[in-house]
Amino acid sequence: MISLTVNDTAVRVSAPPDKPLLWVLREDLGLLGPKYGCGVAQCGACRVLIDGVSTPSCVTPLAEVEGASVVTVEGLSGVEGALSAVQQAWLEEQVPQCGFCQPGFLVAVTALLDRNPNPSDAEINEAITNICRCGTYPRIRRAIHRAAAARVQG
Amino acid sequence: MARILSRRAFLFTGAALGGTALVAGVAGTGYLATVDMDGPDGFVDGNRAVLNAFLAIQEDGRVVIQVPRTEMGQGIHTGMAMLVAEELDIPFDDRISVEHPTGLLPVYTNYALSLRTRPEDARGPLLWAGQRALGLVPLIVTGGSSSTYGLWFPMRSAGAAARHMLLAAGAARLGVPVAELTTSDGLVRHAATGRAIAYGALARDAARLPPPRNPALRPVSAWRVIGTPQRRVDIPDKIRGKPVFGIDVVLPDMLHAAIRQAPVFGGTVAGVANMAEIRRAPGVVDVAVIDGKSLAVVASSWWQAETAAQGLRIDWAATEAAHVSSASLGVALRGALDAGGAHVHLQQGDLSASFALGQERVVSATYEVPFVTHACMETMNATVLIRQDGSAEAWSSTQSPMTLRWGVNRGAGWAGVEPTSVIGHVTMNGGAFGRRNEFDAVAQAAFLAARHRGRPVKLLWSREQDMTHGTYRSHAAARLRAALGPDGLPVAYDAMVAAQSLQNSAMGRSLPFAPSPHGDRLTAEGLDKSYYAIPSRRVRSQHVPSHLPIGFWRANGYSFNTFFSESFIDECALAAGQDPVAYRRRLLRDSPRHLAVLERVAVLAGWGSLLPPGRGRGVALEESFLSIVAQVAEVTVADDGEVTLDRVLCVADVGIVVNPDSVAAQMEGSIVFGATAALMNAITIESGAVAETNFHDFPVQRLANAPEVIVELIRSELPPGGAGEPGTPPVAPAIANAIANATGRRLRRLPLAITETIGERRTRSVLAKEPS
Ligand code: FES
Ligand code: FES
Repeated sequence: MISLTVNDTAVRVSAPPDKPLLWVLREDLGLLGPKYGCGVAQCGACRVLIDGVSTPSCVTPLAEVEGASVVTVEGLSGVEGALSAVQQAWLEEQVPQCGFCQPGFLVAVTALLDRNPNPSDAEINEAITNICRCGTYPRIRRAIHRAAAARVQG
Repeated sequence: MARILSRRAFLFTGAALGGTALVAGVAGTGYLATVDMDGPDGFVDGNRAVLNAFLAIQEDGRVVIQVPRTEMGQGIHTGMAMLVAEELDIPFDDRISVEHPTGLLPVYTNYALSLRTRPEDARGPLLWAGQRALGLVPLIVTGGSSSTYGLWFPMRSAGAAARHMLLAAGAARLGVPVAELTTSDGLVRHAATGRAIAYGALARDAARLPPPRNPALRPVSAWRVIGTPQRRVDIPDKIRGKPVFGIDVVLPDMLHAAIRQAPVFGGTVAGVANMAEIRRAPGVVDVAVIDGKSLAVVASSWWQAETAAQGLRIDWAATEAAHVSSASLGVALRGALDAGGAHVHLQQGDLSASFALGQERVVSATYEVPFVTHACMETMNATVLIRQDGSAEAWSSTQSPMTLRWGVNRGAGWAGVEPTSVIGHVTMNGGAFGRRNEFDAVAQAAFLAARHRGRPVKLLWSREQDMTHGTYRSHAAARLRAALGPDGLPVAYDAMVAAQSLQNSAMGRSLPFAPSPHGDRLTAEGLDKSYYAIPSRRVRSQHVPSHLPIGFWRANGYSFNTFFSESFIDECALAAGQDPVAYRRRLLRDSPRHLAVLERVAVLAGWGSLLPPGRGRGVALEESFLSIVAQVAEVTVADDGEVTLDRVLCVADVGIVVNPDSVAAQMEGSIVFGATAALMNAITIESGAVAETNFHDFPVQRLANAPEVIVELIRSELPPGGAGEPGTPPVAPAIANAIANATGRRLRRLPLAITETIGERRTRSVLAKEPS
């Protein structure tokens, strides 16, 4: 049994310690927001926050998150499902196309803005390395700046 | 859900489909003629009143719209719901929801794509017969950028018919003539007495009324919804991680499967060295050879299945194709350009005379592009359940519910099982781009489900399986020649392309199919440049088969031919010493619609203004999928050869625009997709197998590489064209033309650059050194 916190809820998982967190979330905990896209830390579709750090869960063994706090896309919104500033910006800019990559982007951008509330384009390029095959990048960039501005205004 | 087919049902197959003459005696000459093969009668199902095949109204007034096309990110569910809302006279708000129907009604058939005509334009017995035949299948498919133009008339008619029925029900309820009633905001109103009844309260009565034959559609001047930017209906769920993609299907008692397919296409399994060991691996319940060609591991979780599959020591039987490489394929491809027996797609004017006359100024160039793959973010997958009684159910992120039926029948057949019925569920698609017309994964899952009757089996391909078992966009080579007249414009244009036939490969996989003796128009599309005023021209193609499976890929033949032809027109302009926009302007003298698009993009880009050294601009234009798109690419080429795509300016005439924001998004996405292919993508073949396996060796654009994109849409009152694909073809030639402008180097081969890794998951594009 491995204990951790997922989206503010304490859970105990009886999966093998080497099972990647992505598959623990999807198969053992029924959280289907994090997606499988590559399995090798290339695409970012599986990103979750682990103690606030955006991490590819496909290459993170369960054993490594013992006692950690994990947040998936499902955990980004606030009380009664209120959208986070990042989600709100995604809505305003109508970012998603197919949407498959978006959980990973939303997580990665949330982590970026927590660390750097007003990132430059160069800093965004450095930090956000997820893949979107639908090509929503122009809107993602706009939405990041919008979310940053909204968070500053509080 | 029960569907009662009846003669009373309205809908479009008959007259809308060109059967006016044939069914006129029964149905008059209206579009909504009654024929006995179509849609359901209105009926009441729980709290839903189903008014026709496209919409139902609940007692609470909510409107549920059935959109028989797959939502794969293009916003089609929203656009189609907007059309219904327009005619039903309801606000476009959250009282509307959209479903993909599970019933395969003939009325959902994609006639527009298959018969290459808009439903409202289709006339004549031939088309009518074609429609009946397709309706019997019924061929329901999302592709060819056809959803909006194919459903533009039917969806509006469905909304208008329902409104008509609600008015009639209101008149009966209120005891007043229909003429005294109006609708607004989801209410039927009687102005004289101030009474109003909500649609929800009338819908049950309305569902029992006969549908009108030919309901009037709102005039353009009365549109409130069409042409206004509306938020997509699928986005609220997509920012919460809620939508169910194929990969997210979860069913009670479900098994999970991972697969290893023969690395060389057409290869077979000779044996497995450690079968017993893998069968004993944790969670594994089955290891099976599928159709001789692949091995699947079935387990209680996908992670266990995939882990076990990684341990399989498979002996693959050698095939002749094991000697095939990109180099050998390329030799065959280029050789075909000089071989005889080409298919002639187009021949106008006296080509040889023109070449003889214009001899001094003959421009000739040879181009080439590699195989590429879709790399949809969601890898291929399917979930199939075959019950003990033989009934089957399938779930998949597919572009066509037909693939579910065909795939289940094919795969179950490999196990000697004949399903008695197949119900298909189309889930959200995590990207498609043409790849999800295939039923390979469905058939494999069905085979496994047939071995585990009563338990659903979900098969998910790893990224490596997905990359190495695509249905690829063919490689292609072309030779273009033009004779320029005294004014520098071409008097003759001669294009020859060699590629593997998409039609032969793709159709041959799903249907009994005989290749056309006239060649594959998908191989040659994008070469004819019909909108350019050129007195004589010829377009020819050669089919060069290989063992690779070829599939639909965003814009198909245009994805390479527009690169060839629009690069070549630039070369002609430069040979004539003329500005590429001015040159095209003269060539478009008889094509005002195209010219307007070109002029607008030139203004938007500030064409002609000076750029700093190292920067360049390139223009390209194409008409495809009933739409016209012109783009200007701006690049920077550094001294070390690094090429950056700074901006792409895009002007599109897609006819009437239903949802401008969705069309803009499709252009943006098409540009990123096209630029990725132009600068970065190649699938290479080594020893018969695909060498690339994942995103580290099949690099794609990420945020850091993606250009700024500015899109402008032309206002038009012509009927809608496509939007999902027409943005892709001009990108590659615009970039190549921009690089030529920046450096003086003409690049005639894709990808245009070499991808270098810089840091974690970051890349840059660098031009190859000029051959010394
Ligand atoms: S699935 Fe984890 S980074 Fe792609
Ligand atoms: S929205 Fe489809 S992959 Fe990003």
